[in-house]
Amino acid sequence: MDWTGYRSPTWDELIGHDGRPHAAARPLVDYLASLSRAELAERQLAADVTARVMGVTFTVYTEGRNVDRMLPFDLIPRVIARAEWDRTAAGLRQRIQALNLFIGDIYAAQKIVKDKVFPEFLLKDSVNFRPQCVGIRPPLDIWAHICGSDLVRDGDGTLYALEDNLRIPSGVSYMIENRMVSKRVFPELFETSAILPVDNYPAQLYDTLAALSPRPGDTPVIALLTPGIYNSAYFEHCYLAQSMGIELVEGGDLFVGDDDVCYMSTVYGPRRIDVIYRRVDDMFIDPEVFRPESLLGVPGLIRSWRAGKVALANAPGAGVADDKVVFAYVPKMIKYYMGEDAILPNVPSYLCHDDKERAYVLDHIEELVVKPANESGGYGMLIGPRASKAEHAQFRELIKANPRNYVAQPTLSLSTAPILGDHGPEPRHLDLRPFVLSRKDIYVTTGGLTRVAMKKDSLVVNSSQGGGAKDTWVVDMDEVS
Amino acid sequence: MLSRVAANLYWFSRYLRRAENLARLVNVGSQLQLDLPRSMRFAWRPLIETLGAADEFDRLHPPGEKQPDEAGVIRFLLVDPENPQSLHEVVRQARELQRSVRETLPQDCWIAINDLYLYIEASTDRAGSRRYRQEFLDRVIDSCLRVSALLTANVSRDIGFQFLRLGTAIEQADMTSRIIDTAAAGLIQPRSEEDAEAFREMQWMSVLQCLAAYQMYRRHLRQRVSAELALQFLLKDRQFPRSVLFCLTRIQGILPLMPARRPVQLALNRVLGSVFDADPARVLQTGPSVFMDRLQVELDALDGALRQSYFPN
Repeated sequence: MDWTGYRSPTWDELIGHDGRPHAAARPLVDYLASLSRAELAERQLAADVTARVMGVTFTVYTEGRNVDRMLPFDLIPRVIARAEWDRTAAGLRQRIQALNLFIGDIYAAQKIVKDKVFPEFLLKDSVNFRPQCVGIRPPLDIWAHICGSDLVRDGDGTLYALEDNLRIPSGVSYMIENRMVSKRVFPELFETSAILPVDNYPAQLYDTLAALSPRPGDTPVIALLTPGIYNSAYFEHCYLAQSMGIELVEGGDLFVGDDDVCYMSTVYGPRRIDVIYRRVDDMFIDPEVFRPESLLGVPGLIRSWRAGKVALANAPGAGVADDKVVFAYVPKMIKYYMGEDAILPNVPSYLCHDDKERAYVLDHIEELVVKPANESGGYGMLIGPRASKAEHAQFRELIKANPRNYVAQPTLSLSTAPILGDHGPEPRHLDLRPFVLSRKDIYVTTGGLTRVAMKKDSLVVNSSQGGGAKDTWVVDMDEVS
Repeated sequence: MLSRVAANLYWFSRYLRRAENLARLVNVGSQLQLDLPRSMRFAWRPLIETLGAADEFDRLHPPGEKQPDEAGVIRFLLVDPENPQSLHEVVRQARELQRSVRETLPQDCWIAINDLYLYIEASTDRAGSRRYRQEFLDRVIDSCLRVSALLTANVSRDIGFQFLRLGTAIEQADMTSRIIDTAAAGLIQPRSEEDAEAFREMQWMSVLQCLAAYQMYRRHLRQRVSAELALQFLLKDRQFPRSVLFCLTRIQGILPLMPARRPVQLALNRVLGSVFDADPARVLQTGPSVFMDRLQVELDALDGALRQSYFPN
């Protein structure tokens, strides 16, 4: 592979501004340089075949048909030096700890509101605040057991937190599968470099879930609750259930008895369930409490949870902190609950409910990224520098009509990494989603899922909008020979 | 094992076996037709009834109005989207069921059943034509057997596997009894009593062929085909895997491996008793359809008992 023509318009994860690889990436870059184009194409093909055989897919529902699509996988890994990763992981631990303290406070005494650090009206309008959860104390006082935080790097090399997914974050199975693929394709590099492993995640997740069992001492019965085969993440649900050796259940498989215990229907008769890793959204989880028309959930599940008969991960209501407005307050939460400064900086945010900040946003909309507070998947947002005048005007009106629902952020010059293009390496923008597990201690994945925009200059990395994935290598420099 | 998963495994193997038998049935019908003299016609009607599609057929082609030609009937049985019992629909059901239990079955099975489904989708235009029919049906039968082989070779003998075996056994017992019923109703419309006598044997030969039983019949009975012996063989042979008795005996062997449920055992005993007690000569005398109807009812009761016991809802 010929690196001579490779230039990134911004910070690049592998190659420095001087055209030379970062220290942690040097063995990889040199190795790739030693491969001919034909050898690379052959390996990309091998990677695609491996992914296909392993059945790495996500489901897209279009025109009334379900199509299993492959998540595009790019061969060239993204490399992070271990020292940087350790710092980032510490920042993530601090962050999730503060978020769990915040959620617990919000559903209890609401001290942070009384102390005027967090405005009350934000809570009142939040679509993810669940009044039904007030007064509940989940096991270990943890609400968000599984968190997927999105990190981005700006043009100057700073790594920022962009958002925290506290509801039902997905993508971790791709992280593990990507590593399996790259181990098959680049075995030579795994022999010579100290690339830290990632495949421990299912065991860690199992321990996280098992720790919640209301019947400690006994082997808990754990299930993953999926919306079913038409969900885009169904592959991941199967994958995780299989690799943890737990049951994969749908709403119809479960029922709550008069004793408030949650049971699954098996061929041996009803069996008690202790812990549910639910991949069904709050609003659909229990038709008795939330959306009555939901067929995905289990009537009485919240009753069982409140009675402490079953544990739910993540806890219903945890999404209250999964909101792009609440996100802006995370550094204040860290200070308020823990008395510390945030290790991992937030992407600066302008909150449109604040008069001064709104005025700034309306004046500078051409330069900003505007996001609705509660959308995910990259939908409903405006990228100012790339939008038309008409779109600017449209978003100004949207913001004025519902200021609380919008947040603006400076358009970061998102970092890139090379993908294997038709004519050699080409820079593409990317982000990083590490997964954080909270129990008595906090576990952070080694690296995470790198999502990459496969289209030139695109800033949108979501798989539902044409993004792909890369393997993420955390490399221990002390051990590099 | 979750009840839903058990149910889906059971129905998956039933649909798989149904698709294979359906393809065989149509195949033998087409073959037989080629052998008949011009003065005789192959009767597709009993075949449509056997497959439980008569209501749908009459709705689409009301009696008294112009009836479709042979190619039209075949298309109806194999690929007509209006026919919920068509081969296409049966395979689609099998595929959807497999999709929902993908985590319990080997990946190869999914690939094979998906491949079969896509093949049928791509062949809907050609399936009616005589020229391609044979090739199409052979391919369908092969694909079904391939999935069965993958299951037998690669799936652990856990409780899920027992539900797969149960589904296969009960579906084959059901299909065999239906196919006997078709033969008894008469696959050939003769012009005279003389003709009827002459082609009676041919008819039972076709039925044996349809169930891949002709060769085994000759090998084990070493006699020419007669109605009584053919019935004896398909109903009561202890060694031929598509005979009703063989399938029921297989179920009897599976039940001890499952959580014990009395209604299932009772329903099985009952239908086993009927088959044991059946005397082929008398069954032929009184008209096989009476006996076969009873058998169908008892097999239905067994299916009902299984569902009620292991996957109620």
